[in-house]
Amino acid sequence: MPSDYSVSELMACIIARDLSNADQVAFGLYAQVGLAAAAIAQALYAPGLQIRHGLRIERGIELNPPAWTDKKFTRTPWLVEKVESHDLMLTLGNRSNPCRFCNVFFVGGMQIDQYGNTNLIGIKGEKGKMKVRGPGSIGTSSIAALVDKCYIFSFEHSKKRFVEKVDFVSVVGHDKGQGGPKWCLTPLGIFDFNPQGKMRLKSIHPGVSLKEIVEKTGFSIDLPQNPPVTPLPTKEELEILQKIDPEGELKALDRQVRI
Amino acid sequence: MDRPQKIINIPEAVNKIKDGTTLGLSGFSYMNPPMTLVREIIRSGIKNLTLVSGPTSGIETDLLIGAGCVKKVVTACVAFENVAAIGPNFRRFAEQGKIEVWECDESIWHMALKAGSYGVPYMLWGGGIGTDLSKLNPALQEIEVDGKRWLKVPAIQPDVTILHAGIADSFGNVQFPPELFLGRKFCEEALARATKGEVIVQVEKVVPNEAIVANKERTILNNCWIVKSRFGAHPGGATGFYMPDLDHFREYVEAVEKERFQQYLEKYILNPKEPTTYLELVGINKLLSLEYY
Repeated sequence: MPSDYSVSELMACIIARDLSNADQVAFGLYAQVGLAAAAIAQALYAPGLQIRHGLRIERGIELNPPAWTDKKFTRTPWLVEKVESHDLMLTLGNRSNPCRFCNVFFVGGMQIDQYGNTNLIGIKGEKGKMKVRGPGSIGTSSIAALVDKCYIFSFEHSKKRFVEKVDFVSVVGHDKGQGGPKWCLTPLGIFDFNPQGKMRLKSIHPGVSLKEIVEKTGFSIDLPQNPPVTPLPTKEELEILQKIDPEGELKALDRQVRI
Repeated sequence: MDRPQKIINIPEAVNKIKDGTTLGLSGFSYMNPPMTLVREIIRSGIKNLTLVSGPTSGIETDLLIGAGCVKKVVTACVAFENVAAIGPNFRRFAEQGKIEVWECDESIWHMALKAGSYGVPYMLWGGGIGTDLSKLNPALQEIEVDGKRWLKVPAIQPDVTILHAGIADSFGNVQFPPELFLGRKFCEEALARATKGEVIVQVEKVVPNEAIVANKERTILNNCWIVKSRFGAHPGGATGFYMPDLDHFREYVEAVEKERFQQYLEKYILNPKEPTTYLELVGINKLLSLEYY
């Protein structure tokens, strides 16, 4: 992996550029990348964009929601515009409502397949048992299906992670007749889905080769001959990142990157 | 006549839970697990519980599983965020087929509890269609109504629910403190309202009824049993009071992974029978270091 840029920061910037004033972004556990993307978008591209709890970049945004960090000092309770109870997520079902839970979401997976199916449930073992019991689907199965834009992100791009067919589907891909994720972002590139619903390279990150992508993907991937190189974070984007992430928490996430 | 008082002690609370009870539990990721009552349940040797927790559950669920109290879990996830991607006892017991998992996601979990709180047999939900949730969980059915596919989610009703919350009065009104972000009510209210029987809430602080009335918009539940339990969510955090003790989470995970879970149980649960003894073991310096500034 080239050392002169942060994969996590790059992912946040790529998503930020794809968000609009009509979007409402929800973030969950492991939220930093999605939250950073939404904050950058609010500052630079989509000032009307809504973030869960009514977070606004002008008031400042802390990257690590204090409910699940051990940060001793937090301003966040006084930065939000509204208080939400967790079951508000059920308003996802009212898909045209202006104040529904969200229309943009992010998912990860223990396995990700060629159609963008993802799996947080587990890895199959013998005799109907699981070799690895996963954490569970969390919020993903329903939220991903009911939003307008869902992005998969994975800090690992390997044959183990990118498999031909997931063992269990926790979020549907493009082969189930129920929509599917918009993009998949990894340490090697950005991927979209071709008209057959199969994963296709959209742009390749600086310093990464096509050969590397082929070698590290467990299925045949749709590769254009001369893919564009993913544009790195701009000066303006980096300034916003500095403001919301002074301690470099996104860069610290890069240590989880396995390719 | 006087209005009935709702404050009870720990044994009185845990006496309401029996072998085979379907037990609702608060606790979302690291926050607000009712650990004082969980530890007493383990000491009481209650077995075959069906836990309805989370829907993103944490140590309250993992610990009860590890202690052999659980038959089945209704949850969308058991994990410790940055400490363990998968709850270590949950993982082990599920892989060995020693617990049953009611496979769902968070919205499906909420729909099941909504059906429980509204007294209807099931709800139809538009998420999770085409996934393997309905294959792994026979209670979930994909059906077609007027040409559209829906997930038919049956009602779930805990027999008893135990929660950790910030503040209550002696009449059983329960409130959260103002430091609410991502913590005001995860799922405490959803669990309580779906419950058939008793709702027991352990709280950091009991306040006069006047203090409740002064902040009535923060009252989320009423007519609950109240157990006073300072630092009672430890090692979890409590909204508005203290952060999770991540060192303790790490110690727990290491104990499970290195086959020292029995020693963990003896050290922190079986030997310190009183909550004060447990808090002494954790230590005053540690506890005070967890309080928010």
